[in-house]
Amino acid sequence: MRASLSRLLLMLVLSLAGSAAARAADARLMLPEFHTLEAKASESVSVTLDSSLLAMAARFLDPNRPEDAAARQIIAGLTGIYVRSFTFDSDFAYPKEDVASVRKQLSAPGWQQLVQVRSRKDHNDVDVYVRVEGDKTNGLAIIASEPREFTIVNIVGAIDLQKLHELEGHFGIPQLKLDDKK
Amino acid sequence: MTDGDACSACDALARARSGDAAAFTTLVRRHQRAVYSLALRMLSDRGKAEDLAQEVFIRLHGKLALVQSETHLLFWLRQVTSRLAIDRLRRETRYEQLPLPQDLPLAAESSSGDPLLQQQLRGLIAQLPAAARAVVLLRYQEDLDPSEIAQVLEMPVNTVKSHLKRSLERLRERLTGEAAVPAPRTDDAPL
Amino acid sequence: MSDDLEKQLREALRHVDPPPGFAARVSARTQSEQRHRWLAARHRWVPATLAASVLLSLLVAYGWQLRHEREQGLAARQQLIEALRLTGEKLDLAYRGVQDASKPAVPPDTGDT
Repeated sequence: MRASLSRLLLMLVLSLAGSAAARAADARLMLPEFHTLEAKASESVSVTLDSSLLAMAARFLDPNRPEDAAARQIIAGLTGIYVRSFTFDSDFAYPKEDVASVRKQLSAPGWQQLVQVRSRKDHNDVDVYVRVEGDKTNGLAIIASEPREFTIVNIVGAIDLQKLHELEGHFGIPQLKLDDKK
Repeated sequence: MTDGDACSACDALARARSGDAAAFTTLVRRHQRAVYSLALRMLSDRGKAEDLAQEVFIRLHGKLALVQSETHLLFWLRQVTSRLAIDRLRRETRYEQLPLPQDLPLAAESSSGDPLLQQQLRGLIAQLPAAARAVVLLRYQEDLDPSEIAQVLEMPVNTVKSHLKRSLERLRERLTGEAAVPAPRTDDAPL
Repeated sequence: MSDDLEKQLREALRHVDPPPGFAARVSARTQSEQRHRWLAARHRWVPATLAASVLLSLLVAYGWQLRHEREQGLAARQQLIEALRLTGEKLDLAYRGVQDASKPAVPPDTGDT
């Protein structure tokens, strides 16, 4: 009886630990290799930063440089940043099938679409998803398709969307004068 | 630079490295316009620009042994000038700089083109954030390509390109005074 | 327009002369600083030599490890900056799209007076 109870408790503890890890892991998307895109692209960017690499990068951020200070604040609660970005020499040179497998993952429970933009003028499509656990955001995904650039961003961990928004003015991102209106 | 000029440049550098003060002064005279112009357009203040330009050359004097060639020297001067200027701008925490006063025309600015437009451009460049300003100046004043700018500023080359693209867009918008036309919403299916 | 703007930028950003006497002022400062450095070095050479030997040994021992870690860390930093740049750029694209969509549509000009 005692052995059974111990086993039961052990299983309960393991399942709780496992589900916590699973929750964090769910925020991480399984990104395909994108071999086809890479072969066609004139430029490609692939960033894979898990928690240990993020910690390493943080040590080399200069707190006296505004960009580095902003980056340090953003990554404080993160466990991973994954980016795949491809630039092409002609419009829409990338097949839609490569994106389908990523979109499918974003229809899983927990993910919510925050923004969907379809621009007929610029032919830019942007989808922003967040993964919410209770009242905390623990995942962000962006799929951006522009005529000559395709980008997927997946951020895992406690994300402060306001701090991400405050990236404006750094790293070459223009400052968007948002009106204070609803 | 002709072969003769290149030979003369290397000669002055070699002699300056061995302690020849006159050779060092020759190096200063050869590069003072570039260094001062970069400092001036970063800081928008002649006094501060001269102060910074002097500091660049003082530092060069202490580091001459590390400079291997004329090319390296140019790279070093641009890098140190940009860095010091960006650091100073950040310390001052002022990113809105006033354009240069109109009643003090700068020497050697007579050129083809529209002088009023050029003055306006210089004023608009002075309003860019520090890093973007440095990228624009290294591109259009020093005629460096994005990969060279990335090395000078120790910045990813895509960040350089982004700074250039956004800065030119901003300059165009300010010059023409036009806002972007809003795009109507569409219901096109996503990919 | 792009080529014209870039041409105008190059024209506007031609090099200008520093104030007269700049090179002479630099020369005077470098010579003054050189004298100060020489005077200070004269009185410090013995302990400085000993300290340098010890320091050199330590640096040789740890130098390669530090260099390797630094290379890795700087590479990670570059990747991080690039990732945040792209993230911000695409969020900006989304924000602009939302902003554009929330503006009232400009009615077409029918030409009626």
